[in-house]
Amino acid sequence: MSVVAHLEHVALDPQLELAELTEQARGDGAIVTFIGLARAESRDGDAVDALVLEHHPTLTRQSLEDIAVACAQRFNVSHVRVVHRCGTVPAGEPIVFAGAASLHRRAAFDAADYLMDRLKTEAVFWKREVGEAGSDWIEPTAADLADRDRWG
Amino acid sequence: MKIRFYGRLADALGRELELEGGGQASVGAIRETLVELHPGAAEALKLSRACVRNAIADDRQMLSAQDDLEFLPPVSGG
Repeated sequence: MSVVAHLEHVALDPQLELAELTEQARGDGAIVTFIGLARAESRDGDAVDALVLEHHPTLTRQSLEDIAVACAQRFNVSHVRVVHRCGTVPAGEPIVFAGAASLHRRAAFDAADYLMDRLKTEAVFWKREVGEAGSDWIEPTAADLADRDRWG
Repeated sequence: MKIRFYGRLADALGRELELEGGGQASVGAIRETLVELHPGAAEALKLSRACVRNAIADDRQMLSAQDDLEFLPPVSGG
């Protein structure tokens, strides 16, 4: 069993993260991963140049660890890996990598789903889209909160 | 007492402000003082969680003069 929760300041390389998770998962039967990308368009249809993720000096890293550990304890998974960017992420580039490995696929699917639902609503970041319409703070939507609440 | 803000609150109030006589007050009392001083940020202040010594703090928590207080607007990752 391994749990990785990492706050990445510079660049997130999903292929590298998958390679490391695959290496750790020798003997498992499944890996499920999610990669979140910075969107190039806001909900209102305005062009977005970048997503800026402000973080807290201690609580952000702690929140990533808490979510990853809770995931590892809740599901029958062998490895959990969460890597989250902070700072300025240009449109099209990765924001988050969330992955889980398990003996059988269902636990890995559920674990990745759970990771993202909690990260969207509980990871300690303040996000704003910067683009042609200026700068807009992005907070969890009612759908994000409902998704999180599915897990009780 | 030093108070730090994040996210949309930092836009409205600045990253940090010094509040005189903040010690011996509750988190809730400081929140109310800030709402009175900055009515434009009232909604964001009310929706924000307070944080003292790197832990989320209840509005009833009493602060000492040495404590730093932080206000965290709703968070969102992913």
